[in-house]
Amino acid sequence: MSEVQRGEVLFEMKNIEKIFSHVHALDHVNFDVRKGEVHALLGENGAGKSTLIKILTGVYPKDGGQIFMEGKEVEINDRDDALALGIAVIFQELSLIPSLTVYQNIMLGKEEGKFGFVNARKEKKDIQDLIDRYGFPVTADATVETLSVAQKQMVEILKALSTNARIMIMDEPTASLSQRESEILYKIINQLRDQGVSIIYISHRLEEVFNLSDRITVLRDGKNAGEVEKEDIVPSEIVKMMIGKELSESTASRSLHESDTEVELEVKNLSRLGYYEDVSFKVHKGEVLVLTGLVGAGRTEVLRSIYGADPYDSGEIIFEGKVIKPRISDAVAKGFGLIPEDRRTQGFSPLLTVTRNVATTNYDKLAHGGFVNKKDEDELGKKAVEIVDLRPANPNVVVGNLSGGNQQKAVLGKWLTRDLKVILIDEPTVGIDIGAKDEIYEFVEDLAKQGVAVILVSSDIAEVLRVAHRIIVMREGKIIKEFKDGVATQEDILLASSGFTGDEKEVAHE
Amino acid sequence: MSENKKSFDIKKLFGNTRIIVLLVMMAFFTIMRPRFFTYGNFVNIMYAVTLIAIMICGAMFAVLLGGIDRTVSGNAALSGAIMCVLISQKFNYSNGGAIIAILIALGGGLLSGLFHGLIMSRFKIPAFLLTLSTNEVLYGIVQIITGNQLINNLNCELTNYIGSTRWLGIPVPVYVLLLCFIIGYIILNHTVYGRQIYSVGGNREASELSGIPTRRVIIIAYMMSGLMGALSGIMLSCQNQQASASQAKNYENNVLAAIVVGGVSSKGGSGTLQGAMLGALLIGVMENGLRLMGIPSIYHDLAKGIIIIFVLALDMMAIARRSGLARGIFSGRKKEKKEAVASE
Repeated sequence: MSEVQRGEVLFEMKNIEKIFSHVHALDHVNFDVRKGEVHALLGENGAGKSTLIKILTGVYPKDGGQIFMEGKEVEINDRDDALALGIAVIFQELSLIPSLTVYQNIMLGKEEGKFGFVNARKEKKDIQDLIDRYGFPVTADATVETLSVAQKQMVEILKALSTNARIMIMDEPTASLSQRESEILYKIINQLRDQGVSIIYISHRLEEVFNLSDRITVLRDGKNAGEVEKEDIVPSEIVKMMIGKELSESTASRSLHESDTEVELEVKNLSRLGYYEDVSFKVHKGEVLVLTGLVGAGRTEVLRSIYGADPYDSGEIIFEGKVIKPRISDAVAKGFGLIPEDRRTQGFSPLLTVTRNVATTNYDKLAHGGFVNKKDEDELGKKAVEIVDLRPANPNVVVGNLSGGNQQKAVLGKWLTRDLKVILIDEPTVGIDIGAKDEIYEFVEDLAKQGVAVILVSSDIAEVLRVAHRIIVMREGKIIKEFKDGVATQEDILLASSGFTGDEKEVAHE
Repeated sequence: MSENKKSFDIKKLFGNTRIIVLLVMMAFFTIMRPRFFTYGNFVNIMYAVTLIAIMICGAMFAVLLGGIDRTVSGNAALSGAIMCVLISQKFNYSNGGAIIAILIALGGGLLSGLFHGLIMSRFKIPAFLLTLSTNEVLYGIVQIITGNQLINNLNCELTNYIGSTRWLGIPVPVYVLLLCFIIGYIILNHTVYGRQIYSVGGNREASELSGIPTRRVIIIAYMMSGLMGALSGIMLSCQNQQASASQAKNYENNVLAAIVVGGVSSKGGSGTLQGAMLGALLIGVMENGLRLMGIPSIYHDLAKGIIIIFVLALDMMAIARRSGLARGIFSGRKKEKKEAVASE
């Protein structure tokens, strides 16, 4: 077998096709990996990145095309095939067993020994040697649960190295890392590349992609949208490739203006150590203010602090001209509402009926000396079903049995049955089908028309542009840009979210 | 429409596997031992079930919250001991003294409940572990209070009356149970607090974000549990005219078994008090029947365990039938059809 030299193509996927019930998830996609390169795979949600990776690791079978390793055609039917070819996925820390040590985790499933006994001392030494070779800041006999997220990731990488992986796939590896931990990971990635390991890198953080990658492949709508070598990377060009130019103006941009109605809620220099810092903004009556940015930018945490669900360290929250110290029950009484990020764990009680769920926010109206008036309660349930147009239109259905979109409508019903002044909405349409999405946007618009101040957190740019009157972009706990007058485009927001604000748009990385 | 609803309810009643199991069991025992189906024997069963059932009226709240309260037995032992020690050593067997002693004993239960509620509402401790250990602590306190001696010959008019009188042929503690059940039922079904219990038990975080004072809900639940445990202990001491350091020991197992057999989810958030009562009755009838049939007591636990597993297995099968693919493809569609028919 002729050794592939550094910089030569090691692995190649040609004309890959994948069809999910008549939808072309991948349409003749080409993708190759050279030995010892960091190759980033970019694209918006649904562009086909994960489908491609799943074909590459044997999770999905391909419907067409060919895969070559070192020039020879191969079939990858399952994870073992992928591993045998030296392709490893670096999972988030999830695949480690916390109570075991580093070396035990790495050796898991490939323990060597005689008669069922393992030679722990030899295993430990071998793994320590491997660690020393790369100089990772972990020890072989540390217990995994004592490690930081970044260290756990190193254990994942070591696990891959111990199987002689030649291609490592890293999917959003920095999503749960701090800035400093990310820097360490970047160093490790560079080191792996220098040792001849190829890395397929997927991340929404464009800045790090531009800094790390030797090459970028952009996918859009299941097709190749472009391939760029390191020397030719221009951030705004790549964002254009990701978004595509066919989009009509109406969905790709939105004209914004700050409302001139009364200010309902103001946040001044709000800070919470480790979550967000010096956040200030105002929301007017009848205005939809959108907080956008990447996951982990601190947006949800700001919302929760305003609602009283989480504390804050300093700063002020001013409601109708008065400084308030929010507690959830007070906030609800004042006319605040929260549609939380994860409706399953935070939005509703799955075993209870729609009526009972809607009632949880309405006991101030339903109670008479501690007793619930069942008639009022049933009326309320009916009213909620009517307001949110629930399907099935039955207030006695257990919420856990509804579809995702209708569950979210039930959560909406908890608040739309109240007289709201401020509503805080966190990623309202995740996992919801398009029809229900539109309905939810209409509710948001209606609320604003009724004079409710809306703060909406969203990572979905199409959604941001659909509902926003004003847009604030957060990054790493800080507000980095506000779009309030004029036109905001998808491109502007994507660039700002990734840390390219305004003027430096055309400036490439260092 | 209302007629429709009623017929559905009856169907549900007879669809309840527990009632069927209970009826089958009663028929079986009656055929085997006609003495089973006599008034005298039913009173026996009532005596046996009452204490457990009073405890359930409180422990139910903790279970609905997805917790568990194993201290019902410790609280019962403590309150019995407090009452007997006070009556015999401080109040000289007077009736007025007995009332004060009973109130103090109930206060002990409330205090114990408050303690557990405060801890359960603040910290993420498994309720099982907490109450397993604090139950030992409670029995330890009982041993200290009683000096590890049996306090008997409780020659007090009031406690005697509670323990041995029958009104209309029914023992007084059964009336106490009836009162507890009615109060518990009303709380769970008609008060804001009852609604909040189900909500917090079903999803604590969602409840908190809806503005429900979840901590208060949890504290009150454990206080209810402590209070009912204490009340049950008082009844026990009145019946036996004594308090011992091991009084009511292991009752919690029957209490929790009855609650779970009664169809209350051990994860919290669903189940009814009447269901739990039925569970208690099921266990009581079974123990009584086995005894009547002359089966040696060494086999009772074995039989009890098997019946509990049997009822739970029926449940699991019903849940499995309702969930997963079956729910989406079969029963869901069926239900829709039924609704469509009903609306026509």
